[in-house]
Amino acid sequence: MKWKKIAGACLAGYVLGMPHVADAYEGDWKRGHVYYRMVCTSCHAVKAGGPIGPNARTQAEWAAYMQANKHAKGKDSVSYYVSKPYRESIASTNKAAAKFADVPEQELFEDLKAFVSRSAKDGDAPTGCR
Amino acid sequence: MKISRRHVQNLGWRWSGVMAAGLMASAMATDHSGYKELQQAFKSGPEVTRACLVCHKDAATQVMKTKHWTWQSLNPQTGQMLGKKTLVNNFCIGVASNYPYCTSCHVGYGWKDRNFDFSKAENVDCLACHDTTGTYRKPSGLAGHPVYVEMEFPPGSGEIMHPVDLRKVAQRVGFPSRYNCGACHFYGGRGDGVKHGDLDTSLEAPDFELDVHMDAIGLDFSCTKCHAGTGHQVHGSRYSPITKRGEGSAARERTDRQSPATCDTCHGIYPHSAKTMTNTKPLPGFTQQGMAAMLNRHGDKIACQTCHIPAMARGGVATKLLWDWSAAGKMGADGKPMVKKDAKGHTIYDSKKGAFELGENIVPEYRWFNGEVKYTLLGDRIEKRADHVSINHFGGSPKDGRSRIWPVKVFRGVQPYDPVNKTLVIPHTYGEDAESYAVSFNWEKAAAAGMADVGAPFSGKVEFLKTEMIWPLNHMVAPKAKALQCQDCHDRNGSLAHGRLKNIEGLKKGPLFRLGK
Repeated sequence: MKWKKIAGACLAGYVLGMPHVADAYEGDWKRGHVYYRMVCTSCHAVKAGGPIGPNARTQAEWAAYMQANKHAKGKDSVSYYVSKPYRESIASTNKAAAKFADVPEQELFEDLKAFVSRSAKDGDAPTGCR
Repeated sequence: MKISRRHVQNLGWRWSGVMAAGLMASAMATDHSGYKELQQAFKSGPEVTRACLVCHKDAATQVMKTKHWTWQSLNPQTGQMLGKKTLVNNFCIGVASNYPYCTSCHVGYGWKDRNFDFSKAENVDCLACHDTTGTYRKPSGLAGHPVYVEMEFPPGSGEIMHPVDLRKVAQRVGFPSRYNCGACHFYGGRGDGVKHGDLDTSLEAPDFELDVHMDAIGLDFSCTKCHAGTGHQVHGSRYSPITKRGEGSAARERTDRQSPATCDTCHGIYPHSAKTMTNTKPLPGFTQQGMAAMLNRHGDKIACQTCHIPAMARGGVATKLLWDWSAAGKMGADGKPMVKKDAKGHTIYDSKKGAFELGENIVPEYRWFNGEVKYTLLGDRIEKRADHVSINHFGGSPKDGRSRIWPVKVFRGVQPYDPVNKTLVIPHTYGEDAESYAVSFNWEKAAAAGMADVGAPFSGKVEFLKTEMIWPLNHMVAPKAKALQCQDCHDRNGSLAHGRLKNIEGLKKGPLFRLGK
């Protein structure tokens, strides 16, 4: 029985020691930065008349933009560009899309929100297109 | 991760076996949010440090032995005391009398003048290197403190900076990332990419093309992957770099886990092989094995960086190439200080600082380098001349058996000089007081204040001296397909007379072989 106690203790320790997976997801601004630069900016630079730096807008403007979820003046949604179908569609030419292929869409959306908020004109670390 | 008794107490667990297993499982995350010491409404950085030191008892003592704290570094080869505290450069020139501005990049709090207490542990700033939230910033002018109360910054700008949430930052500490190191090292010389040419914010989330090691979706190296160390010591200093082939590899075998940041530490001294040359078309008469051997022979005289860092400032951030302090002081049409920008938004003139030149994708210059670095220190006599005077010197020659050819950024400046004592001067350039050049626009007054602060003689007269500094390039390592090719240095006859190394002494410039078509 001793080994069962030890195994139980280890399992309990493992579970208690795990990060708080059940907590509400909080955006990973670093991953958001990578996605913003390598997916959003790389496309904007070629197809959308030039990149848009996160510091081109205030936090409030970014929050409103992400909340409205309207991309290209409402032609489509912002969330489409973090969706799995979109990532799959560009994965062969975009390494970041391929790398993040399995990331849940809502997580990636939160990552982007966290990054643009941090990097906005009035954010904690205003950031250009890099 | 070290599991201390304190962890046990904080978590309130009595069964240490369970606790140990759990903490081992979560060692990578090291969630600090539950620690009672960090449940405070911290009002200052030192308060956070005191909380950190409850568990990390040796941390401050360790940090206080590092260059990041002392800003001093004794070069054992030359006996020179180097480091930001004493050096004179041709960017912002010197720290003395400008402390609150320069020390925003000190790993400490409160270095506002020469009387800073370097023995006080609570002055150590843990968060600068360990913040993971990306919200912890230390603005220039606050002597290394972050913002504690809402303030307009820069003063008069109308921009409001909000206080940093110290509790949140303290609860989310982690290992240093590129963002932490870059908060200072990307901004050397008072701006993004200004100083180094191979370090700027494009390396926060770089792609493979920009840097094969830091590629954010590839190897994703943090700075500390190469600049590794123990006890808060960070290795790989440009004050005493390892340049000779093989010395890095030897260091990897050390038992003290020191790891000077050299290429051959990981890649070995013969990095090219038939396998690495798979996609390379061999020269006529060469096999891929033969090509690999030839490139490995190049490594005797050519640093890896020379071929693998084909240009600097490759990430879209311009680096500064010239700073002319002598041009400062011109006012705008309204009689007030002015700032001029170029079409790309780069500042090219500032009444308080002078004129600048910047550039991207700049081809480096090249120097023989054996690792010996010598600086012109305050008090060293310099004869003024028409061309640029070098104020840091790289040792090296083709004949000493220790040197290799390195790519460097050569930064040129025009800076204040004492024509009577024939020395460089450190002027008081920043600040709102009457002696500051930014207020007085009077060089004699600014130099007198700066030199008095450091206790150095000053004649009262100021002229300007053309100077240059050399900065070795080590980052922004390109993919091998973008590395220099034979023809970048050799012509079709193998001659080096017209390529990148045409000005390097000691190389046979005549025909060596045929490259073919």
